[in-house]
Amino acid sequence: MTEKTIWVVDDDPIYQIIMKKIILKSGIFSAVRSFSNGKEAIDVLRSNILKQKTHPNIILLDIEMPVLDGWGFMDEIATLKPQITGEIQIYISSSSIAIQDKERAKYNPDIFGYMSKPISLEDLVKISAV
Amino acid sequence: MNLTKSLLSHNKWFTLKPKLTGIFIFLFFCVIFSLIISQQYRIAQKAKDDEMSGILQNIHKTIEQSLKDNYVDALTLALTINDKGIPKNFEAVGKQILANNENIDAVQLVPDGIIRYTYPLEGNEAAIGINLLKDKKYRHETLKAIQTRKMYFAGPFELKQGGLGILGRLAIYKNNKFWGFSAVIIRFETLLNNPEIKSIDHSRYAFQISKFSSITQKETFFLGSNQKPNPKNTVTAFVPDGDWKLYLIDKQPNEFFAAYILKGVLGFITALLIGFLTTAFFKKPAELEKLLKEQANELLKNEIKFKSVFDQAAVGITYVDTVTGQLLEANKKYCDLLGYTEEEIKQKNIITIIHPDDLKKSFKNFEKLKKGIIREYSTERRHITKSNDTIWIKLTISPLWEINGIPTNHIAIAEDVTERKLAEQVILDSQKRMESLINTIDGIVWECNAENFEFTFVSKKVESILGYTSEEWLKTPNFWVDHIHPEDKDYAANFCVDQTKKLKNHDFEYRMIAKDGSVVWVRDIVNVIIENGKAKNLRGIIIDVSKNKETEKDLNNSFNLVTEQNKRLLNFSYIVSHNLRSHTSNISSIVDLIDNSESEEEKEEMIQLLKSVSDSLNETMLNLNEVVNIQTNIGIVTEQLNLKQYLDNTLAVLADQIELKGIKIINSIKEDIEVIYNPAYLESILYNLISNAIRYSHPEKHPIITIDCYTEHNKTVLKISDNGIGIDLAKNGHKIFGMYKKFSTHKDSRGIGLFITKNQIDAMGGSITVESEPNLGTTFKVYIS
Repeated sequence: MTEKTIWVVDDDPIYQIIMKKIILKSGIFSAVRSFSNGKEAIDVLRSNILKQKTHPNIILLDIEMPVLDGWGFMDEIATLKPQITGEIQIYISSSSIAIQDKERAKYNPDIFGYMSKPISLEDLVKISAV
Repeated sequence: MNLTKSLLSHNKWFTLKPKLTGIFIFLFFCVIFSLIISQQYRIAQKAKDDEMSGILQNIHKTIEQSLKDNYVDALTLALTINDKGIPKNFEAVGKQILANNENIDAVQLVPDGIIRYTYPLEGNEAAIGINLLKDKKYRHETLKAIQTRKMYFAGPFELKQGGLGILGRLAIYKNNKFWGFSAVIIRFETLLNNPEIKSIDHSRYAFQISKFSSITQKETFFLGSNQKPNPKNTVTAFVPDGDWKLYLIDKQPNEFFAAYILKGVLGFITALLIGFLTTAFFKKPAELEKLLKEQANELLKNEIKFKSVFDQAAVGITYVDTVTGQLLEANKKYCDLLGYTEEEIKQKNIITIIHPDDLKKSFKNFEKLKKGIIREYSTERRHITKSNDTIWIKLTISPLWEINGIPTNHIAIAEDVTERKLAEQVILDSQKRMESLINTIDGIVWECNAENFEFTFVSKKVESILGYTSEEWLKTPNFWVDHIHPEDKDYAANFCVDQTKKLKNHDFEYRMIAKDGSVVWVRDIVNVIIENGKAKNLRGIIIDVSKNKETEKDLNNSFNLVTEQNKRLLNFSYIVSHNLRSHTSNISSIVDLIDNSESEEEKEEMIQLLKSVSDSLNETMLNLNEVVNIQTNIGIVTEQLNLKQYLDNTLAVLADQIELKGIKIINSIKEDIEVIYNPAYLESILYNLISNAIRYSHPEKHPIITIDCYTEHNKTVLKISDNGIGIDLAKNGHKIFGMYKKFSTHKDSRGIGLFITKNQIDAMGGSITVESEPNLGTTFKVYIS
């Protein structure tokens, strides 16, 4: 079983800690990185492309974030997509229960799925199996 | 009509019959002339006769004279006879006698009837010895001389000595005893050789002598023709001494005839001429007379015609004395109109049949007519009929006097218009009803021409809606367009024209300016009246919808408010949901992790984490509470606050940070600016905006914060600008005032300040705007109403 890498993009520091704990506990992922907004994540992604480093397999993306929110991040991803080798599975993980957000996620082809918080260990196992 | 008759009757027959008159005149003159001529003729004839008689008388006298002379001669001769009965000196006496009387040819003495003595003897010898008493030839006449005892002239007869002669014998008595005769022989020629006879104009007259023989009972003529002359042309005289008859014969008995025939002819011609001239003279007047007669006839016909027109006219005609008002004549129709008979109506004065209510007006018109101000007028007035009904009559009154003349009579033509008047009244009533109905409609009912937008009707409601009267609207061109609010004018006018062109009924709203300058919102519902496929008229109703508009505006405001509130609430509910959920999901996850913790340390770590979640949750709850407090802003106290003072307080609170970052504050707020605001809100707003400006100052710039205040549209505007890092409004403009919207990763950023600020400003009825460019700075404007 190849170990996957996962990024968590969320401005809630407590959530980041929690997610790191769960990810470690799951033992599925070889590496985990967390970013407090979309801009930080996209910057790293851009530098990874330049340095020809490998991309994370899964990104858990929050919507509500300062500087660059989830949707802004998706717009950036769309521009970088041709340069990205391999597949990045992006999951929206939001506490929002707004139907608009779910709909918007559904119609974005780059988004793999929508996960409402809290994210459980089982959820991680499920998505890593895809 | 009487005029015409008199015109006709004054004619004399002669003027009418010029030919007859001419003939009469001609005959008259003929008679006159013929009388004159015949008289003249007769006079001439008489004169002639008298002349002839005179001539003959003279002849007769001379003959008598010469015979008397002969008597004297015979007597003289007789005296030669002496007592013995023997002539003495016969020869000498005879010679003397012959010498004295040249008429005597010879003298004889015939004693006892036997011719014995003759002088001259020569030439008369044959007579000697003839016994006159015995000779048959002489006996009768000889005896006559004895009988008459006068000298008697025998002959003429053939003398023995030749030629005709006359023998005058005087019986001589000697001593009362017949002696014989003394005789003178007169040659007939000699007798006729008389100056009187000779002086006869032989061209004209002829002289004749005849002797009527008592023996033969025959008349013997001795001169010229032996014919007895026509007694008509003759005058006669009788010579008893010789039983001769003297004739003077008119040789030209018709001498005058030709002349008088000529005169007659002339007279005839003259008479004819006079007759003709008379005819001609009278003919002209006659022609004129004829013409006059024809025209008079024509006039009469016309008069009859007009009379029948008058009588049979379908309209009433009456003839009125202008001065007294007395009805002089009226036709049948007029009488019928008023129900009177012709006789009755002639007894009426016009005043008595005019309706009392119309008298005054009638008098006025009448006066005008009489003074010559008007020459004719038409009017409609009420009359009272015999049966006391009121009828409406349409009158046309024409005066019958010359312009500027003295008023005499006038003619009135009357038409019964009662039905029409009644119908008009009905229409008028219904119109009035309609109008009052229209005027009760709570809107301006109007009508206008579809082509030129000229208004033909505007209901009275315009007064209460716009303050203008219908008249003002109707008489002012372009009233409608000119009274539309300038901002709506083009739209409303164009829309209406456009819809009318499309023949579409339309319904639109616009503002109009009332007389007092106020703005009235109206709704105009327009019907397009189409005739022959073209818009003819527009009819519509303008309803005052100002109240509706206000209500609508209020409603809209309420709606906007509710929408805004709703939006805020929704936003709030999202915020609540999002924030609470993020905390609950964290709690849920931590609880899971605690359950599955493998060590006490880990558990402890998780509990610490749970604690921080609890703190965070608490903070969130406090924030939400604050927001809820602002949003349920009923009963917020406002008071007059000095802006400068509050600003100074805020700057004092933030003084440490300002100093730390070395920020320059440019404060232009004047000291006298007062605002009505809730004190806590004003404090909070100033604190949030200035602390934001301090927090997001540009690290590479010398930070400046400018605070200004001015008035815009009756609102006080507080402007706070910085030259800080700015916000990309293109990306984040829509959520800048949202809750928990943070645009930087600044450590103090809570994402709540602007949200609360906006809520507070909204709650005070104001607004906030933002202008920002990344890396250039941000400007917030707070509008304080």
